[in-house]
Parts: sequence; C-alpha cells; structure tokens
Amino acid sequence: MLATLNKYRVTFLVGLQSNLIYRVNFAVRGFFSFFHLIVVFILWGAAYAGSPLIGGFNFAQTFTYFVALLVAQFMIGAFNEDYQISEEIRGGMINQFLLKPVNYFAYRFSIYVAARLVTGLLILLPLIVSLPLIGEHLVLPADPWRLAVGLPALFLSAIIQFGIAYCFGLLSFWFLEIQGFVILSMALESVLGGQIFPLDLMPEWLFRVSQFLPYYYQMYFPVAIFTGRLNDPSAALVGLGIQACWAVIILGIGAMLWRRGLRLHTAVGG
Amino acid sequence: MSHYARLWLTSARYCIMRMMMFRGDFFVWALVELFWMTVNLLMVSVIYRHTDTVAGWTKYEMMLLVGTSLLIQRFLMGFFWSSIFEMGRNIRSGHFDFFVAQPGNVMFTATTRKIDPDSLINSLVALGVVIYSARQLGLQPDWIDILAYGLMVACGVIIHYSMLVLCIAPAFWITSVQGIEGSYFTLSEFSRLPRAAFVGLAKVAFVWVLPVVVVSNTPASTLLHGLNGQLAAGLVAITVLWFGLAVFVFHRGLRRYSSASS
Repeated sequence: MLATLNKYRVTFLVGLQSNLIYRVNFAVRGFFSFFHLIVVFILWGAAYAGSPLIGGFNFAQTFTYFVALLVAQFMIGAFNEDYQISEEIRGGMINQFLLKPVNYFAYRFSIYVAARLVTGLLILLPLIVSLPLIGEHLVLPADPWRLAVGLPALFLSAIIQFGIAYCFGLLSFWFLEIQGFVILSMALESVLGGQIFPLDLMPEWLFRVSQFLPYYYQMYFPVAIFTGRLNDPSAALVGLGIQACWAVIILGIGAMLWRRGLRLHTAVGG
Repeated sequence: MSHYARLWLTSARYCIMRMMMFRGDFFVWALVELFWMTVNLLMVSVIYRHTDTVAGWTKYEMMLLVGTSLLIQRFLMGFFWSSIFEMGRNIRSGHFDFFVAQPGNVMFTATTRKIDPDSLINSLVALGVVIYSARQLGLQPDWIDILAYGLMVACGVIIHYSMLVLCIAPAFWITSVQGIEGSYFTLSEFSRLPRAAFVGLAKVAFVWVLPVVVVSNTPASTLLHGLNGQLAAGLVAITVLWFGLAVFVFHRGLRRYSSASS
C-alpha cells in the first residue's frame, strides 16, 4: 500500500517540477484572466446601474461570484489534461504504461493535482496584489456549514473536472483529432457551468434542468456554496449527493473507455 | 499586387480542398464556432431578462454591437488566425525558414497562408445577427452608411490583425509566446461592450491605448446613428497606426530570427 502510494508521490513531485518550469506561462495566463474580471466588472457594473438587484443579488455578490469562479478555475479546472492524454495515446507514449505496474488514471491524476497546486497558488498572487482595488466589491458569507459542504464539493468538482478531461483524452483511441469535441464541450461547460453568467439568472426551468447535469457540478456548485448564491444547507447536501453520483458515473465511463480503448490500441513502434 | 492576389488565391484553394477532404472536421469546427457565438448572444439575452439598458444600450442595440464584434472576429479567424497562431510555433521550431525562403513579403506569406472556411461560413451567421438586430430596431441605413459600416469592419479586422501580429512577434525575441497568444481572446471580450460603459482608467486603456472597444463600437454606431465623419476618420487613422506598428515590429523581429532547425 505504502509502495503504491510512493509511486504516485514521486509522479506528483515530478509533475510539480515540470509545472514550475512553466510558472511564467501560468502567471501570464493568470494575469490575462484578470482582464476577464475587468470585462465582468464593466459589463455587470453597467447592468447594475439600471437595476440595483439582478436575480435577487447585488453587484458585489455577483462580482464575488466571478472572482471565486476564476480562483476555482485555477485551483481545480482541467486545463489541458485531455490534450496531454490524447498526445500520449497518439504518439505511442502510452505503451510504456502498459508494461509497468502503474495505473494510468492514478499517474495522470497525480500530475493534475501537482499542476493545479502550482496554478492555484499562482492565481493567488495577482489576486492579493489587486485586493486593495477589488476588496470593497467582495462579500463572502461566513456560515460554517458552507465550509463543511463546500470543501467536499470542491474536491468532487476536481474529480469531475479531471474525469471529463480523462474521458475526452481517451477518445483518441477512436478518433485522430479530439480538439473539436473538447472545445464543443468547453462551450457547453461555459454556459451550463455558470462561467458566462450565474446559472440562477437563467429561466427557472433551465436552471432546474442544469442541476441534474454534470456541468453544474464542475464549478458552479462549490462556488455557489462559498459565495452565497446557494443558501439552503439541505439543498446543498442533496446537491452533494447528485455530485457524488456524477463523479462515480464519470469515473466509471473513464474506466470503461480505458478497457475498450486498449483492445483497439495497436501499440505500433518500438 | 496581382502576384500577391494569385498567391493568396492559390493558398485559399488549397485550404478549401483540404477542408473538403476533412469534411467531418469542418462541420465540427463550424459547430464549435456557432456555439461560441450563441453563448455570447445568450449572455446578452440573460442580462436583458433582468435589466432594460446597459450603459444606455437597449437589448437589440447591444445585439447589434455583439454581432458586429463577432463579424470582425470571424473575419480575423477566417483569414488570419491559423497562420498567425502557427507563426509563433514555427519561429520556435525553426519551420519559419520555409517563409523566409519564399520570394515576396515574409509578413504577407506567413500571416495569410491559411484560411479557415468554418469561420468564414460563420461570418454569415454574425452578419445575420447584425441584420436581425437592425430590423428589430427598425433601422433603415442608406447605402453610404452601409458602405461605411463595411469599411469600418475592414478597419476593425486590420486593427485586430495588427494586434495579433504584435502579440506573436515577441516569439522572435523570447521564443515561446504560448501564454500571450492564448490570452489574446480575453482582450477581444472588451469589443462586445458599449463604449459608454468605460470610465476612468479602463477608458484610457481599452478605448485609447488598445482600441479594442472602438473597432466594434464605431461601425455599430454608424448603423445606429448614421455616419460620423470624425469618428470614421479617427478609426482609419488608428488602423494605419496599428498596421504600421505591426509591420515595423515584425520586420525588427525578423532580423532577430536565427532558425532553430539547423
């Protein structure tokens, strides 16, 4: 057991090192993400100028939501794990994992955790620097239950994020090019995951439907808990249950794709 | 001039033939672009469910602005994005030698070699959004306004092209610009906002220094309120300035290029 854990600890450390090499790239990406926050600030600021409450929330609450979403994206978002997996399958690099006592999912997940640790910490730097500017527009509720439900929700969101990227990456066993699928899924995720606007602003029926889809649990759910858009603890617990179901389903699909994909895999090359 | 037109037509023909070979790919990408455009319109729709105006712009005025911004972006993606995006990678890998060895202007061949038919097809959808919004607003622009709108959209494409080249050109000095080029799209988000929403430092940065707001707002205002000679002349001047800057920086960078392949 300890030896198994040690394997992935080493993978995690190697992942940490390789991600630290690209720290400047991540920092640049983080810096430009703040331009998105400026867009949010200007657009929603102009919208709130005509109406003090939108969907029952004031400007500070909505702006806090977008800031929290940005932090969550850097902390748990699957940036390019799908492409990396796809590259390993198409380039034949995956063959080495078939010959070694390494679980490919666990190996990839260790690298994902390492990468998110680097990007998650890097996004905090520009956030802290800009805090004097944006601080007065941030309001976070302090109820203890939010932490108790929000943290497991964040963890499950990370599993779902990575799980979906893993499944898309494995599609390379069947398709030469997965980029189109990935970007199409990103577009869906951006709407149904609440990245374009808080989901509770959608028509009621669409909001209800979205609560049964995995996109809702990729990012919106934990962020809504932490930022006060979700205020009912029992509804949050029900959400946590649905989220756990989606995590299991997605991991199951990943395992199935891996098994079936390997049957198709021809491992050409030396 | 006709030599360059022939060169471009040959490249375009090759891209279309390639598209016909990978039809599935074309449909997937066209769908992807269509979906992203829908996302932008959906956002406008959701915001206007809760408020009547944003910085003084009504729902369909805003749709017209977003449609114009999407139109400019589709043209940019259709005519230049793939070539410019590849340019950064080619400089890093040394494949840029291919363009240096070609007879003719390097900047022209390197930035116009590929077209994306899926983006060009979707420019029709963006144009459809503009026409639909104009009809909803009961606008009846005369032919001068329409011509001016077309010319301003062309100016917008040239400004975005220049800014994109300026984003990639640092690759001549620092080799990798992956973080910067991917972030270019964040800047283009500003072009979907009304100019009146910008105040203070944001106005200086995104209206005057980086004209991302002007490029979409000026043509949209022309359709909404008729041609404003001063604004139009300003846009043309900005276009010349940015294109000149892009040409200058590109050629300065080209002198630094020292192939990585050999």
